[in-house]
Amino acid sequence: MRLEKCWFCSSTVYPGHGIQFVRNDAKIFHFCRSKCHKNFKMKRNPRKVKWTKAYRRLHGKDMTQDSTFEFERKRNRPERYDRNLAENTLKAIKKIDKIRSDRASDHIKNRLKTGKVQRQKEARKQLELGIHLVKAPLALAQDSSLCLPKIKVNVSQAQTEENQPMED
Amino acid sequence: MWQFPVSDQVPQISGNRQACGNSFDKQQRTFIQMRTVLKVVDNSGAKKVMCIQALKGKKGARLGDTIIASVKEAMPNGKVKKGKVVYGVVVRAAMQRGRCDGSEVKFDDNAVVLVDKQGQPIGTRVFGPVPHELRQKKHVKILTLAEHIA
Repeated sequence: MRLEKCWFCSSTVYPGHGIQFVRNDAKIFHFCRSKCHKNFKMKRNPRKVKWTKAYRRLHGKDMTQDSTFEFERKRNRPERYDRNLAENTLKAIKKIDKIRSDRASDHIKNRLKTGKVQRQKEARKQLELGIHLVKAPLALAQDSSLCLPKIKVNVSQAQTEENQPMED
Repeated sequence: MWQFPVSDQVPQISGNRQACGNSFDKQQRTFIQMRTVLKVVDNSGAKKVMCIQALKGKKGARLGDTIIASVKEAMPNGKVKKGKVVYGVVVRAAMQRGRCDGSEVKFDDNAVVLVDKQGQPIGTRVFGPVPHELRQKKHVKILTLAEHIA
């Protein structure tokens, strides 16, 4: 039993799933499901199809280089069965998997961080420009604490009483 | 573009898939039956054979089955001549065949290796990939001659 990778989307093909296509030059293509198979028949390039791993790795969306990938290399020599080895391998698989997925999600988070910071900056700027839509400018002029709190202002009892008539 | 096989007289019955409007694979996924033209992938002299009978199988022959065929096209000096009736073992079929682990294999075209009545190949070389389903059907000789086992 061998877990293959789908040629199109790079997901694992478990036994009992998918189709193997053998071309006349003896190149074997594994597909995990008919979606990938049909895309292949349409002669689509997986590197250009947005939802495949090939595209994501090529365009830097997913982690490409990591030491955890070394563990998943294809080995062609069968190992003699050894219970201890099998047990340790199973434990290691779990741990390596967790580490790899953590690193991958960190990679994505870092990638999205700059966008988040930018969006917050833009939002703050928009709020500054459009504060007249939120609160009447007269009210702002009267009470500077209603502006964006760049400086932390302690909300005291007296100020909350002032707010009430304006919100009505 | 994806070239259509020569077997365009094969009707559209196929055991396990519904009629689809897909123009790419309309006529490739069916059994090998009477009048199916197959490519010959050994050096026995024939180039194309037409199936006249699929031994075993009501609907037709699949990957690994034997067929009786008539030679339609042959090389000028070969062991078989045009018009001869021969036996053949299907080594590549465009119709997918299920494997014992649950997956399915399919090849690019329909190809056959000519054999005699006992099952021994007439030619001495086999071209292209062959499936290892042949081992179960006891066509070991063909496997040894093959250049690649899929």
